[in-house]
Amino acid sequence: MALDDKKSRFKYVGTTPNRPDGVDKVTGKAQYGADITAPGMLTGAILRSPHPHARIVSIDTSAAEAIPGVRAVVTGKDFAPVEDQGFADIGETCMARDKVLYDGHPVAAVAATTPAIAKAAIRAIKVEYAPLPHVTDVDEAMRPDAPVVLEGRALEHVPAGMSQNVTNTCEFGHGDVEAGFAKADLVLERSFKVAAAHQGYIEPHACMASVTSDGRADLYCCTQGHFFVRAVCSALMGMEASQLRVTASEIGGGFGGKTTVFIEPVALMLSKKSGRPVKLVMTRDEVFKASGPTVHASIDCKIGMTKDGRITAGDMTLRYSGGAWPSGTIEMGAQAGFAAYDMPAVRTIGWTALTNRPKEISYRAPGAPQAVYAVEAVIDEMCQQLGLDPLKTRLKNAAAKGTLSSYGVTFDEIGMVATLEAAQAHPHWSAPLGPNQGRGVAAGFWFNFGGNTCVTLNINTDGTASVTEGNPDIGGSRASISLMAAEELGIRYENVRTIVADTASLGYNDNTDGSRVTFAVGLATIKAARAAIKVMCERAAALWGIDAEAVDWIDGAAHPSGPNAGKFPPMTLAEIAAQSFQTGGPIAGHHEVNVDGAGVSFGVHICDVEVDPETGHTLVKRYTVVQDAGKAVHPTYVEGQMQGGAVQGIGWALNEEYIYGKDGRLQNAGFLDYRIPVASDLPKIDTVILEIPNPGHPYGVRGVGETPIVPPLAAVTNAVSRTIGKRMYQVPMSPPRILSAIKGA
Amino acid sequence: MAELAFLLNGTPVRLTDVPPTVTLLDWLRESRGLKGTKEGCNEGDCGACTVMVQDDQGPRALNACILFMGQLDGKAITTVEGLTAPDGSPHPVQEAMVTHHGSQCGFCTPGFVMSLATAHLTGERDHDMVLAGNLCRCTGYAPIIRAAEAAKDLPSPPHIAFNLAEISTGFPKGGVPPLGEGVRGASSPPTSLDAFATWYEENPDATLIAGATDVGLWVTKQLRDLPKPVFLAPLSELNQITSDGAALTIGAGVTIETLRKALSASHPGFARMLRRYASLQVRNAATIGGNIANGSPIGDGPPALIAMGATLTLRKGASRRTIPLEDFFLAYRKQDRQPGEFVESVTIPASAPNLRCYKVSKRFDQDISAVLGCFDLAAEGGIIRSARIAFGGMAGTPKRALAVEQALIGRALTPEGIAPALPAFAQDFQPLSDMRASAAYRLKVAQNLLTRYALEAGGIPTSVLEVAP
Repeated sequence: MALDDKKSRFKYVGTTPNRPDGVDKVTGKAQYGADITAPGMLTGAILRSPHPHARIVSIDTSAAEAIPGVRAVVTGKDFAPVEDQGFADIGETCMARDKVLYDGHPVAAVAATTPAIAKAAIRAIKVEYAPLPHVTDVDEAMRPDAPVVLEGRALEHVPAGMSQNVTNTCEFGHGDVEAGFAKADLVLERSFKVAAAHQGYIEPHACMASVTSDGRADLYCCTQGHFFVRAVCSALMGMEASQLRVTASEIGGGFGGKTTVFIEPVALMLSKKSGRPVKLVMTRDEVFKASGPTVHASIDCKIGMTKDGRITAGDMTLRYSGGAWPSGTIEMGAQAGFAAYDMPAVRTIGWTALTNRPKEISYRAPGAPQAVYAVEAVIDEMCQQLGLDPLKTRLKNAAAKGTLSSYGVTFDEIGMVATLEAAQAHPHWSAPLGPNQGRGVAAGFWFNFGGNTCVTLNINTDGTASVTEGNPDIGGSRASISLMAAEELGIRYENVRTIVADTASLGYNDNTDGSRVTFAVGLATIKAARAAIKVMCERAAALWGIDAEAVDWIDGAAHPSGPNAGKFPPMTLAEIAAQSFQTGGPIAGHHEVNVDGAGVSFGVHICDVEVDPETGHTLVKRYTVVQDAGKAVHPTYVEGQMQGGAVQGIGWALNEEYIYGKDGRLQNAGFLDYRIPVASDLPKIDTVILEIPNPGHPYGVRGVGETPIVPPLAAVTNAVSRTIGKRMYQVPMSPPRILSAIKGA
Repeated sequence: MAELAFLLNGTPVRLTDVPPTVTLLDWLRESRGLKGTKEGCNEGDCGACTVMVQDDQGPRALNACILFMGQLDGKAITTVEGLTAPDGSPHPVQEAMVTHHGSQCGFCTPGFVMSLATAHLTGERDHDMVLAGNLCRCTGYAPIIRAAEAAKDLPSPPHIAFNLAEISTGFPKGGVPPLGEGVRGASSPPTSLDAFATWYEENPDATLIAGATDVGLWVTKQLRDLPKPVFLAPLSELNQITSDGAALTIGAGVTIETLRKALSASHPGFARMLRRYASLQVRNAATIGGNIANGSPIGDGPPALIAMGATLTLRKGASRRTIPLEDFFLAYRKQDRQPGEFVESVTIPASAPNLRCYKVSKRFDQDISAVLGCFDLAAEGGIIRSARIAFGGMAGTPKRALAVEQALIGRALTPEGIAPALPAFAQDFQPLSDMRASAAYRLKVAQNLLTRYALEAGGIPTSVLEVAP
């Protein structure tokens, strides 16, 4: 049997069939987290802190417990401490223990027979707080005299004498930065602020938990990773993993925000105490106040450049805050900032500090948009000052195969140069501009990820195939995985059905994150299909009475090869499957792997804006996304990722921000004042998909989902700055900020 | 408890025991098991709960999350489950949303499908406007708009078109009284405006509900129990726009969307602003009377009406009084309305060709105004002879810019000519800073909007946000 490891000619991959979940979604049949019910189910509700920082003096739940219909009340005391610090922190975001650390921090929960009783019951709980001074800004939190959010959480290598809020620092780079600046004709240093943004998924967090009296439990929830949910929840509940089965519902958007838990452990505890199934659904207000937005950032970025546009050195300091608990996002930002460029000398120093805000969670390329924004804005300003073309300048410095990256990895085949060249060749780049209009360009980078993956592929006796995988489908992955299975097996896309199985049905799968699913689950699916093909070739060989090595799998059928070529007519998958009971039993393929080799991905965005000189309102007139996808398995869904990511970045660049008042409370916890783009805010986003194969995947696939949110902050900033003739150093660029820059209002 | 009758996906439903301020969304999902209608925000901002409601005013898309059951009597409701034909064949917009990949995560999709299907039925082709009240976070909207384009010329299936006359005059018209729980026990339940006025004078503690776009939030967000809820929509006298040649009298119950369409030729500046008043779902529910009576300093209706010189007619029992609209707003959230008195109508000139309304907000659609500036200036030979200017978002009430008006008289209607009047804004307004905008921004923008008016009067368009009426 001969199987090519690498494949470059495709029959199904690269086509754009309808998604298998399409009809259910347009007819309202798709089941999301809040749609699941169980007999006898109770409704849960959560009481949240109105204080950004306070000691909990006492919680009196007696009045709530006395209300008829209330079946359980839960506080932090119900959860036993856990050793794993990461799980303990997540547990504390779900339910406060001694202190409340942000506006919206849960302090108690109830389960009752109706939603109205549950709401009445949480209002009957009396909490006595001793308010403490608070801090919600990262720069203020790093001051030595700042209110301390949590004590004793700084890692050992954090220098002494700093505020206890500073929990981590990191440094990446190579070369002599000072020597590099000495060689520059222009050295420019700028400071930036980036507000926290929310993922803004339309489906609020929702779950339904059912714990039985013998200690087993089922949990249904909208999540990007039910295996991780099981790991956290079983630890917090003191259960063995095998006793908790987690099933992922359809997920109404996640973008990283559903890679952790906020309500699931609370629902499980309410169910355990009441003995009844319990549903918990967040309101929109709760989603904004108490699920995870991004970090907010303060950045200093310094770049040296020769007058012909060669970067000689880059030096950046990032200060991120991921809310009231330590956050690792700083390391990704510090690594990603300069990654698009071949830098002779580069240094990025990161700091992370605690603030009285909810615990940050991933949002599409976590940490990268902020750092890359600063780099791309400084490069653009330098191009303006030196009279250089911004794309040619980026090309002159572009990272390529063999480049030692800013984070220490030496790049393999990458698409940065090709992406810049494609942007240069795009008609958008040379299109004329009208009055009050300007054009910005920016590049972006994301690492992408592989990770733990487990797939089963079953050959059915009617000649169809079922793929069982463990990653919730957030961007059309069931379609792309079916396409890859069809490609390998040589059967039609329609004859493959891919399902997302629960945690009892497969080995561990990492979260749907890191742009990993099409890459890693795709790879495991291909390998599982090849394992099944190997079995099918053996079955055909046995029926023919020849050596299994002398069978080739071509276009959905076993063919005798070598000395036996042409001796027997090809035997199709359906024929082999139909005889499987007689030839050794059911046919399946499996693959379990911790996948390495996720190829990094680059994108370049071109943005035209028009700025209203009287109000500072900005309208995006035209927007083009150029990105390397490695291999686009379902090109329409690749475009969907590129457009969706760009639009989220545009929203962040212009309007989206967490606004905390002086009282430490969130001012805009709703869609009316946290403004995500609507249809009229956007042009149709143009896309150009490049395919520079990733050597780490049999088809060359790279992750595509995250890179597109990285360039927009700078692409829009550069467009606005060039339009108004003043540089903007803060995101979002709301109309008041732009008008203020224009007219000094 | 209210008695109601309506059509749900073509099936008659008669309810005798439903609390009138239960929302349609909760009833559909919790009582009826129809879970295709989604809750994304429960405050009318995201459109995931959009349903189609038909009555004698035609088909409208409405947000089910702020639509009380008491508002549904005698109407035909279509949810996403009822869009598919009885034989299982999908509606053209459902089909197009699949084939054009308009659905990614799919949670917002039922709401989009309902907005699109309603527009498909009414023939409305301005997709951005139709979808302004539907948030999608996955797609960037382009595939959804492509789907709308692809479906637009295909026939609308007959099973979602109802006999509107039958709905409005006969079955399933609900039981008497039509006005809701508040009037139960009245000796002669009001079914006419006169009878209602008498009843309300005797029951001033009742909660008057028109479109419920704000009152709905009192229930869904503030968890308030509304005393004596009374639904005004059945009082057809409030839903009229009448003309005596010189003036138009607009009933308090006229919806913003009805008004926008009615005034697009005669009051183009006003109609253009109403396009941006709110999403289509909210405009389909919200009424001009509610917008006035609510008294919000950032309501978009009153500044435009004040700039036009509108008068307000208030009614208490059998007596009416008419006042200039600006006199109605006494202080922040305090209006000149007596117990038992209600807003009956507002009267404006028959046309307002010179009126321009500039809404300043972060988003073009579906956003609260940081500043709303409304200008109605008349010039002869290029010299300003009269000026009425009113602003929202600049004070605790909608407020006229009297000093600016005075400073403009006799000046040339050009950017240079009006410049000496700009400092007068600081006499008229001392705006507040909040998360929407700073005081400095508000004052600067207010001045810039007057400059914009002068530029536009000279035929120089400057706004990036102008739309056709």
